[in-house]
Amino acid sequence: MKGLWKYISPFAPDQSGAAAVLYGLGGIVVICDAGGCAGNICGFDEPRWFSGKKSAVFSAGLRDMDAILGRDDRLIDKLCDAAQTIDASFAAIIGTPVPSVIGTDYRALRRMAEKKLDMPILTIDTTGMEWYDKGIEKTYMALLQQFAHHHDKAERDTVGVLGAVPLDLMHADGTETICQELVEDGWQQILLYDDLDDFVHAGKADMNIVVSPAGLKAAQYLQKTLGTPYEMRYFGLSHVVPDNSIFAGKNILIVHQDVAARAMRSMAEEAGAAYVTTATWFMTAKTEQDTGHISLREEDDFRKLADNNDFDMILGDAYFKRALPHFHGLYVDFPHFAVSGRG
Amino acid sequence: MIQEKKAYSITIHELAQLGREHIPAELISSTHLIYNSPAALAFNSPGAQGFGVKRAGLAIPGSVMLLVGPGCCGRNTTILSEMGGYSDRFFFYIMDETDIVTGRHLRKIPQAVAEIVEELPEKPSVVMICMTCVDALLGTDMERVCRKAESKVGLPVVPCYMYALTREGRKPPMVDVRRAVYSLLTKQIRQKRTVNLLGYFAPLQDDCEIYAILRQIGITNIQEIARCQTFEDYLNMAKANFNIILNPESRLAAQRMEKKLGIPSIELTRLYQVSQIHKQYQAFGQVLQVSIDDSLWYENAKTEVARMQNQYSGTTIAIGEMQNGNAFEMALALTRYGFCVREIYANVTEGDFVYLRHLQELSPDTQVYSNLSPSMLYYDGRKHAVDVTIGKDAAYYHTDSAHIFWDDEIQPFGYAGVLALLHRLDEALKGR
Repeated sequence: MKGLWKYISPFAPDQSGAAAVLYGLGGIVVICDAGGCAGNICGFDEPRWFSGKKSAVFSAGLRDMDAILGRDDRLIDKLCDAAQTIDASFAAIIGTPVPSVIGTDYRALRRMAEKKLDMPILTIDTTGMEWYDKGIEKTYMALLQQFAHHHDKAERDTVGVLGAVPLDLMHADGTETICQELVEDGWQQILLYDDLDDFVHAGKADMNIVVSPAGLKAAQYLQKTLGTPYEMRYFGLSHVVPDNSIFAGKNILIVHQDVAARAMRSMAEEAGAAYVTTATWFMTAKTEQDTGHISLREEDDFRKLADNNDFDMILGDAYFKRALPHFHGLYVDFPHFAVSGRG
Repeated sequence: MIQEKKAYSITIHELAQLGREHIPAELISSTHLIYNSPAALAFNSPGAQGFGVKRAGLAIPGSVMLLVGPGCCGRNTTILSEMGGYSDRFFFYIMDETDIVTGRHLRKIPQAVAEIVEELPEKPSVVMICMTCVDALLGTDMERVCRKAESKVGLPVVPCYMYALTREGRKPPMVDVRRAVYSLLTKQIRQKRTVNLLGYFAPLQDDCEIYAILRQIGITNIQEIARCQTFEDYLNMAKANFNIILNPESRLAAQRMEKKLGIPSIELTRLYQVSQIHKQYQAFGQVLQVSIDDSLWYENAKTEVARMQNQYSGTTIAIGEMQNGNAFEMALALTRYGFCVREIYANVTEGDFVYLRHLQELSPDTQVYSNLSPSMLYYDGRKHAVDVTIGKDAAYYHTDSAHIFWDDEIQPFGYAGVLALLHRLDEALKGR
């Protein structure tokens, strides 16, 4: 049945993606919710929250009458109070289902805040009804449009990495693997876009590497406005499959975010896989017709595709396996933080 | 103007002087943005630790839950399911924008319930439908939707409301979910020697003296929802002669049970002051017109308190609110036992002034912080060293101290609770 999920819990939502990009940038981040959304973001979707490094992520603490009466002024007052005690370079308001249902005017909210606060204000119109990648995409764009300098010159030893937030990687510390490989490739400066300066000086990157489709729109924007080329690449696949020979002659399904899945497909094909199919619930990195790729929307789509013995091998987050009681082939754990929250 | 970057705090003396009518806004969560540090995570995401609406809604034996809401509302259930025994009991209807605009999801819920029931190897006793802020704002009549689903599957289908928007309202989510889980009880002949303990979704500690005291006064059957093994056990809770409310969040459920089932209730408070526990048991006996002899436990607890006082008098302590107790009552008890309570991290309510009045005399300089204040971003526990902390929040602030989380699901109560707390403090301090 459309909408009914019996085996798999929902994935990280768009507001978690937005908060993940903003984490640690030095702004005041207000989740425009009653409390539960902020709790889920910090408690489940943001592994850095427990790292000891503090970040000014707050819940708006909306109550029923705030929503019914549309008391945006109260939210702005609370934000102004917080700005008096917190040293921040900007403030961001992230949407959730509550403002989405009551039709909050984010532009108006932004103007109201800008009138009272002497700092840039971002509003991200996430709804809690899309997946994390949409929130990452929106937030990258908002930050680049707000902060990126257009006069920086590209530096030959500098590379940018878009999409490298924990949600889109295999593990919470996935950026370490990325940096290590890029240093081995000869890059000396790496912009992970996890610092506000990386957005301000995005133009210094000689090229951008896109590790998930959530970073693609930002890369295309930077190519268009600053002329920075980009390529798609995923890192750390050898940790998932240390021995490529297991792919030989197999009919394989790979389920992950699209850049990761396609990178794994290339690896499997090079190792002699008979046929490789990729599937994702999230954004796809390519728009043209692709016979080897399936976009999933519902849990039922996934079960129809894989809860059988059509494939010899499936690579996907271990959490998906519980939806496949009738699959008896080889299941290889290909972790995806936005799916299972394992870090 | 940027204010000084330090966490807001106020002394017990100052707070008591202001009085219950003038609690500073910094200590009232509805007046400011809510800081969601790891210390305070359980406030915004009760499911993260202990029982939130989702786990509580599954307290009825054999029940399953369909959560109806946007994907984000079901997100943490991944981890919740893995906490044991829940993986096969949660199901989701993920709403999209079309559902919100057209209300289409309401027509689909009965079908979704039927599909879940059909797929399960054993028929559930009840299907709980968990609704979120979205349906609260849409004004959904979920009772009606549940009746439709009931007639389709021939099983009880009960709504429960995960409405964080109503947290400070008349029926906060954790109050209403208690009403919901007892709502299936139907009137039965009451049994004189049967009593229900209401309040928690996990049982009281097995060694709690309340069981022996109740037996002492002739009660032979003591029922708790967490000890119900079967749906029949649960239904038998309707046979109780009276309910004992152990957590104020159960008052609404008890009122409904009185109205619907004719079961009256009496309330006991979880306390850590031994003398007050004794007084409470005596008052309980007077209400029931029986004599309660708690001297054995009372004397034992006093002896242990004296031993701890002798050994640890002057030990500094910080107490949080993410633990099984009222932070202010616990602070008062431990101050009376010779500990030096330096700091308390808690929201202040009018009811806390009962304890604040006494603390003002015994420990006026104790600082009170709010976990939820944005200014806690600047709190640095290293500047406020203490020997030991109680509560997960206090432990977060003071990484170098000895800790007891005191947030076990099995609930401490009465003299046994005091002894367990003191025992854990003893262990933590010995291990330093």
